[in-house]
Amino acid sequence: MSGGLRLTLTARLTLLFTAVLLAVLCGLGAMVTLANQAHFVDLDRDYLTDKAALVRKVVAGSTNLDQMSQRLQELLQSHTGLTVRLEQAQQTLYGEPADTFPGDLVSTTGRLEPSDWTWDGSLLRGAAVALPTPVFLGGEAAPSLRLLLAMDTHHHIHFMQELQRSLLLYLLTAGLASGLLAWWAARRGLAPLRDMRERARRVTANQLDARMPVDSVPVEMAELAQALNTMLERLQRDFQRLSDFSSDLAHELRTPISNLLTQTQVTLAQPRDAASYCDTLASNAEEFQRMGRMVSDMLLLAKTEHGLALPHRGPVALHEAAQSLFDFFDVVAEEKGVTLVLEGQATIQGDPLMLQRAISNLLSNAIRHAPEHSRVRVSVSNPDNTASLCVDNAGPPIAPEHLARLFDRFYRVDKSRAHLNPDGTGLGLAITRAIMEAHGGTVSLASTTEHTRFCLRFPAA
Amino acid sequence: MWGFLPRLKGTLRRMNILIIEDEPKTGEYLRQGLREAGFVVDLATRGNDGLHLALEGQHDLVILDVMLPELDGWQVLKGLRSMGRQMPVLFLTARDQVEDRVRGLELGADDYLVKPFSFAELLARVRVILRRGRPEQAVATLHLADLELDLLRRRVLRAGKRVDLTAKEFGLLELLMRRQGEVLPRSLIASQVWDLNFDSDTNVIDVAVRRLRAKVDEGFEPRLIHTVRGMGYVMEIPEVNA
Repeated sequence: MSGGLRLTLTARLTLLFTAVLLAVLCGLGAMVTLANQAHFVDLDRDYLTDKAALVRKVVAGSTNLDQMSQRLQELLQSHTGLTVRLEQAQQTLYGEPADTFPGDLVSTTGRLEPSDWTWDGSLLRGAAVALPTPVFLGGEAAPSLRLLLAMDTHHHIHFMQELQRSLLLYLLTAGLASGLLAWWAARRGLAPLRDMRERARRVTANQLDARMPVDSVPVEMAELAQALNTMLERLQRDFQRLSDFSSDLAHELRTPISNLLTQTQVTLAQPRDAASYCDTLASNAEEFQRMGRMVSDMLLLAKTEHGLALPHRGPVALHEAAQSLFDFFDVVAEEKGVTLVLEGQATIQGDPLMLQRAISNLLSNAIRHAPEHSRVRVSVSNPDNTASLCVDNAGPPIAPEHLARLFDRFYRVDKSRAHLNPDGTGLGLAITRAIMEAHGGTVSLASTTEHTRFCLRFPAA
Repeated sequence: MWGFLPRLKGTLRRMNILIIEDEPKTGEYLRQGLREAGFVVDLATRGNDGLHLALEGQHDLVILDVMLPELDGWQVLKGLRSMGRQMPVLFLTARDQVEDRVRGLELGADDYLVKPFSFAELLARVRVILRRGRPEQAVATLHLADLELDLLRRRVLRAGKRVDLTAKEFGLLELLMRRQGEVLPRSLIASQVWDLNFDSDTNVIDVAVRRLRAKVDEGFEPRLIHTVRGMGYVMEIPEVNA
């Protein structure tokens, strides 16, 4: 809108098209003019050659000077605009005085090469021709005759001026017309762009479902529309994720906050002994710790889901990571009589702390759900350089409707909170998935009638 | 009734801590908590006041919030170091961005805690930092009541009787014994004994402590390993209840 010359696309196209057309027409005009001028030169040469031949014939056929003059007079008087001079050694034999012609006019015997000059206000074109000297003027021994011919070219000039004027007029008209046409064409051609603009204008945070037309626009713009649509889809997905994220968080915090508030207010409602105050505070502290962990986990999720680069990348031996986690979970497993088994080995590139965390979530999950006196097996393998780590535990099948959603934030198979891991935040598997995605890998879950198997798969090294 | 107040040996100089924190509630509670844990505590709520106090006084540790009015935490730390003050600094930050950590540690912070943190965690970290630089007593055995930990032969005796512990149980007991009288939060135990540096949502520490307690405390008096609800675990001879 402001600052400098910022033309609309329509104006640009119109100007460009008109300029190109004018350039082409100017070229054409110049060519026509040049061709005409060349043609006139040819015509004039023929005319002059023709006249020179006539004069030569008269000179050759005459027997004395008077007869020649008289015959030339008869022959040439009807040719208006033609100026003739016949001379011998600068002496006029017939015709106009010598100063009509320029002094440096060179006589030729072959093809005439006419030159242009002005004399007495008229534009002349002429040439000089050498003629054999007739007998009555001394024959071959005497100086040769020189014939000077010139014609007035004002009618050519007139014609050329007329031509140029009409060419210019045509140029202006054509320029104007083509400008209008170009403007119309550009507007029509750019109509899909305006359509896209209108659609884009309607896109807001709450209406991200608008899409650009792809099939109805020209091919070049279809790519742009496609790219915009991909962008919109991504935005919509991310936006949805973000709003889900906040609502999930708010929802999950509502229950513990309401518990804390109720418990605190009930405790405050009447005087109690120190022990019950302590009890309430301690229980509150536990709940606060859980909430604090939930917030930290949500932050971690937010960061990993938004493609935060892995802070520390280095070689991670998956079997060693699993083994050190075995040391940690040993006591819990032993309590349940669960045996931890590790098979295979593989080393990948990744963030050691993050990966340890991802594996830890799977392991604690497996131990929690494994029946007593069963086995939890961690198998690491590295076929074709694509490493994987799978955690198996015996257990009842998981219903198919839960399988895919189990990695969602706060998703619980058992909706009642009674069976919940009291220390859990409901984010463990979601964090595992986010960590795997940050590593370019995947996490999958397979459930059979007797086994549950989580697998972490890493991209090819 | 809780024993997280350290049993201060009479000869030990009381440590001075300066808290620079603009959030009034956080500052007050930290001051109260640290005072009750036996420290002498100053509190500043603005960056330049804090810097001034730190340059005037003789503090053994500065607890520094990153987000402060006027001078922020980084600038305070820079100011301290440029004036040649080398006392340890513990950062409190609400942002756990990696760049923050790197920046803080580059500037010479000794440790950092990400909000929300638990007070037990803060206290444990404070003690670790203050203990640094002081040579750890090269002792061969640790004692508490009739419990004896032989560090060289990795043997445990309770009331003269041999107690069999696994390697991790021994490590856990050693940590509790070395830090006796201090409440150790679960996260600290996980990081010190198992080298696990993230908050795990499992009850592994509880199970491990329960099993250790069964071996060390069951059938003996007095009980030495105590649970402090909402905070962690502490090892001490309980005060005789009046």
